[in-house]
Amino acid sequence: MKSLDPRVNRLPVPGTPGKITPKIPLDQFGSYEVFVQPKEGKPFQHEGIVHAPNLEMAFVLAKEAFTRRFTCVSLYVTDTRDVFVSPLTDADKNAYDMISDEGVKGNDSYEIYHLAKRGKQHVHAGVVTAGSPEEAMWKARQTLNTKQVFNIWAVKTSNIRKTGEGETILWDTLPEKKFRDAADYKGGDKLKEFLERNKS
Amino acid sequence: MNDQALKELLYKLADDLLILGHRNSEWTGMGPLLEEDIAFSSMAQDKIGQSHALFQLLHQLGEQQPDLVAFTRNANQFHNAVLVELPNGEYDFSLVRHFLFDMADSLRWQMLTNSSYEPLAQLAKKIQGELRYHTLHANTWIKQLGNATEESITRLQGSLSKLMPYALGMFEESPMEAALINDGIFKGEQALQAIWKSKVEEVLSATQLAVPDWKILVPVYGGRRGQHSEHLQPMLDEMSEVFRIDPTTEW
Repeated sequence: MKSLDPRVNRLPVPGTPGKITPKIPLDQFGSYEVFVQPKEGKPFQHEGIVHAPNLEMAFVLAKEAFTRRFTCVSLYVTDTRDVFVSPLTDADKNAYDMISDEGVKGNDSYEIYHLAKRGKQHVHAGVVTAGSPEEAMWKARQTLNTKQVFNIWAVKTSNIRKTGEGETILWDTLPEKKFRDAADYKGGDKLKEFLERNKS
Repeated sequence: MNDQALKELLYKLADDLLILGHRNSEWTGMGPLLEEDIAFSSMAQDKIGQSHALFQLLHQLGEQQPDLVAFTRNANQFHNAVLVELPNGEYDFSLVRHFLFDMADSLRWQMLTNSSYEPLAQLAKKIQGELRYHTLHANTWIKQLGNATEESITRLQGSLSKLMPYALGMFEESPMEAALINDGIFKGEQALQAIWKSKVEEVLSATQLAVPDWKILVPVYGGRRGQHSEHLQPMLDEMSEVFRIDPTTEW
């Protein structure tokens, strides 16, 4: 296939009949879910995702991508593939009503997150002991089901890269970095001053 | 306390951070990944902030205002190591420089938490979190790329051999080194270099990168005495271009 159009050259070459191959893995980084704790005593909340080659790199990159502006005290990340999601509900339906008693029983620790409002972020609700994400959500239905939620997430605690004990100092100087907020530059005030000065 | 020796120490700390902060900020908008671009730019900003804090300490000791000191000196008045002024090449070069410099920088500031010069000890304690992130970032990348592909390993190894003589130049001793050590201001470059070597080896040994043969390396000295490469002056001209238009304006 010879063409001057790069789009043509990017097209996959026609294959050989009868030849079946596995799908080529992604040539790009996987995604990792980022959770931030805004204040001591407040629950962790989901902030977004980062792309990274592994969990540790995801933690390193998430730190500046998600916690360089607003004050926070802790951060953790987990592989998107390790987040288990309940069915999504709407109107006055509770997502917990769609959880039944199934899944492997066991004694691992699972973190549970609730979506309390459509369009908002998932917020950490508590921890349960279970052997599978299914059992974790069933257990959460017994213990954390206090008000209507639209969606539930379950993540095995051991799959999370948490902020280590010595790492809570990472955000020590963040409250002083107000200059990272565009509003702190006070562009309007500077312009007004400039115009005043040039009037006289 | 020997004021001359103290000022010289503060100048070299501040100049290293200002110059490398500026060099690393040249990657802003051009980093290899969005997240890395943000992280590298933030750390460059941290370095400029730390240098500003040091210029303020110098101002309290009778030196000129931080902006004047940062933007109106010529290359031969700068005390930074030549390592930090070298122009950026490809990203592996900046990443390896970041690893070698920030390892030394964080160990230096760890020592300075015990400095007898209280304002410096206070500053050292305050910025431990920033330094912790800088070394976490550098070490994680080196371990990642130092074990990844043939290309990444070859690139890092090439940059390591290029930069190591300059990195050793960071530890050029001051003529007033003894005064600093005797006054308990700073434990000295030799003590710092010894810990730095072992920490660099520790990270490299977790990768497929070769640990340098320290005995055959010849350090590039001179930066601490104002003897710089031809790259520093053009960088300073560019860095201070806006400031020099009107030094009295608040930009």
